[in-house]
Amino acid sequence: RYVRQLQRLQLLFSPTAADARGAREFVEEAAQDFARQHPDVVLYVSPHSGRGPAPVLRAEYLNGTVRDELIASKTSEEIVQLATKLANQSGLDIIRIRKPFHTDNPSIQGQWHPLTNKPSILTVQGPRLQPQ
Amino acid sequence: MVVLSAARWVRSRLSDRFWRVQEVLKYARHFRGRKNRCYKLAVRSVRRAFVRSTKARREKKRSLRALWITRIEAASLEHGLKYPAFISNLLKSQVELNRKVLADLAIYEPKTFKSLAALAQRRRQEGFLAALGDGKEPEGIFSRIVHHH
Repeated sequence: RYVRQLQRLQLLFSPTAADARGAREFVEEAAQDFARQHPDVVLYVSPHSGRGPAPVLRAEYLNGTVRDELIASKTSEEIVQLATKLANQSGLDIIRIRKPFHTDNPSIQGQWHPLTNKPSILTVQGPRLQPQ
Repeated sequence: MVVLSAARWVRSRLSDRFWRVQEVLKYARHFRGRKNRCYKLAVRSVRRAFVRSTKARREKKRSLRALWITRIEAASLEHGLKYPAFISNLLKSQVELNRKVLADLAIYEPKTFKSLAALAQRRRQEGFLAALGDGKEPEGIFSRIVHHH
């Protein structure tokens, strides 16, 4: 069963700044629809009054990663698209994956070591024969 | 940043020089010497590093294949076969494993590799018999070709 990796979305913006206009429109119009469409994500709207930092959409995931996305000078539709993109992501870091496969047990028959194909006389120590 | 109004063209100064410099220096942090700190030297080094990394993508395929071939050669010599004999006889027995997989088998599944070497050796003997024996003995078992349609 699918478990959404996004825990909470925090919308930090100031109610008076000019670049937070899209954020304000998002809160007025589309935030409720978004919250209803994604019932397992908690949406926090926290306006900080006065001249604060740039408006940001903070996404926290189940594995602890926190991802901040700037929403300054973005329209409401763009913010909705951004929020859905964050909701569909998992919290893994977005870096180049070196290999698309991984195993914890790569060897079933036992990994090769220099004595695998040698006669077992070299490794096995039997009971020491006494000189008669 | 530069205000370009025709009547009042005022030359304004750059305010985010720090971040423009950091964009380049962040790729040079693990270099040796002054090129990891000084922008002028770092620009040249970073550009060369990027060019080399693009070109190296074509070389990587070649060097990895050479590595696999070395490993398969070493493993088949342990079982008494040389690399050209091993590969050609495996292909003749319709075992189409690529060198990457063969190298991984040689490392992590030595018994499987041993059986593959034995198969190649058997096919080699049958090939010799077919070439030198001249038709009196029946055809070898492992020389039979399976047609998949």
